[in-house]
Amino acid sequence: MIFKTKITERLLFIFLLIIIPPTTINCQLTTDRNLFTSKSRLQFGNYLYMDRDYLRAAGEFKEFLKSESNDTIVFRLANCYFKIGSFAEAADNFKGLFFGTQLSEEARLLYYESIFFQNDYKSLRELAEEKIYFSSKYSQEIERLKYISYFLDKSTLPDENIVLRNFPDSVQSRLISFYQQKKFPQHKSPTTAAILSTFIPGAGKIYTGEIGDGITSLIATALTTYLAISNFKADHQFRGWLFTGVAAFFYVGNIYGSAASAQIYNARIQFSFDKEVKLFFEQRNYFLPKIDF
Amino acid sequence: MKFRFAIIFFLSALLFPVKAQDHLSIQFGYANNLFNSKLYFDAITEYKRLQFFDSAKTYNYDLNFKIGECYKAGAKYDFAVKYFSFAELSARNDDEYYDSKTQIIRTNILRRTTDRALQLCDELEKDQRFISKKDEINYWRGWTYIFADDWEKAAKSFAKINFRHELKIFAEQTDKAKVSVTFAKVISYILPGSGAIYCGKFLSGLMSLGWNFLAGFWTINSFVEDRIFDGVVIAELVWLRFYRGAIQNAEEFAVEKNLEVANKSLRYLQNEYKGIKP
Repeated sequence: MIFKTKITERLLFIFLLIIIPPTTINCQLTTDRNLFTSKSRLQFGNYLYMDRDYLRAAGEFKEFLKSESNDTIVFRLANCYFKIGSFAEAADNFKGLFFGTQLSEEARLLYYESIFFQNDYKSLRELAEEKIYFSSKYSQEIERLKYISYFLDKSTLPDENIVLRNFPDSVQSRLISFYQQKKFPQHKSPTTAAILSTFIPGAGKIYTGEIGDGITSLIATALTTYLAISNFKADHQFRGWLFTGVAAFFYVGNIYGSAASAQIYNARIQFSFDKEVKLFFEQRNYFLPKIDF
Repeated sequence: MKFRFAIIFFLSALLFPVKAQDHLSIQFGYANNLFNSKLYFDAITEYKRLQFFDSAKTYNYDLNFKIGECYKAGAKYDFAVKYFSFAELSARNDDEYYDSKTQIIRTNILRRTTDRALQLCDELEKDQRFISKKDEINYWRGWTYIFADDWEKAAKSFAKINFRHELKIFAEQTDKAKVSVTFAKVISYILPGSGAIYCGKFLSGLMSLGWNFLAGFWTINSFVEDRIFDGVVIAELVWLRFYRGAIQNAEEFAVEKNLEVANKSLRYLQNEYKGIKP
């Protein structure tokens, strides 16, 4: 009997010994998981990064980098700022990877991209001209960004051949068209429009392409003038002066309107050109490679 | 002795999962505190952290629901609907399913996707499990119509709950306070300026009437004096301009007045109404 009990006890002991350790270890793992250790923060940050929740991922990476250093995470942190549009912070963080890291070339390209997307085209061109923080691996991409920037601000374009040689053959004809539009914009002169309308009411508006408005102005001025004369002839002094005032208002208004119409025309031309150029480069991702880690 | 030791060892091992559970619940409590303090961005971060580390998905429904609530509070309605939909999928019982579904309806009301909100109300109404929730469904249907600026239908929906329902009476009052755009236009066709007066714009209405009388007088006077061309031109350029202007004004004033009435009612509901709001 005693022998049997001892065997049972031993068997139970062996059974528990086999069952308990994995349970214990498993529980231990869960129990010891502090959600705010740097390892946990890194795991959670990476999850958020993959989930494109960049703002929160940046927060986790920042906390992680307080206790540990990791180039990939610095790159990811910078990229998080880049993705959420905080380009100044992105540029600062990419700067930290310029020397002594394997991600140096990519960081330099993304640094240039950060400056480009801050619309700081002048600084971008200066840095590229002086080859400051320049990437030898991505030199062509940086050069392209430099020349794209000329299309996006009011600076004078360099020689056509210099600009075009950096871009692929498939887009050459479009770029030549953009170049010509930028260099020789089809603007209308507000002074010419005003002078034309002084001599023939509505002519200035017709000059700016507002044909319907121009003809209406001409008819309105002519009719009110006729009504003024007609009323004076019928000895209706009050109505005569009233229509004289209306005619004068139409005449002066039409001169001012023609000058304004020319300015609106120029602004419209500029706006549609800027929009078209931006869309063209955006659709091609500014000829930039996709870099991610 | 060994056996006793093993029993103690086994029992102590059993205690660990309880402790592990505590860790997750502490995190859940921490996130809830942030939520209650209206720190929604931080609350979402902590809920998501818990969601990431909760490998057993113990809190799956609660977390999705809470994240949805945070996004809703932050007016990120698309994200809110996404997380309430996740909550709907991870619901453990009918109540949880119903709660997440009504939250989706409420979010759709707020983002003014009226058709979707109504469609979801209809779906819930047809579901046999929620036959007892008809009043609540009608309540949210009423709110959907309020946000769609259809106060008449809103009143009808609230009337289905209770004929003396507070919101039914309120929606009816709002509907009565509104003016008819068509009527304002029609009376302006008959008597220029009367549409503006109907909308409460007395000065504008009287001015319009005056200009029309004056222009009409000039036109008729020109015809009487055999200045036909003069008459035609004045009628076309002056009289018709004021006549058409009066009709256009009547329409604009009516639309503006209706907007004012609706906004006043919505402001009341937002600030004064004590019941549940979307």
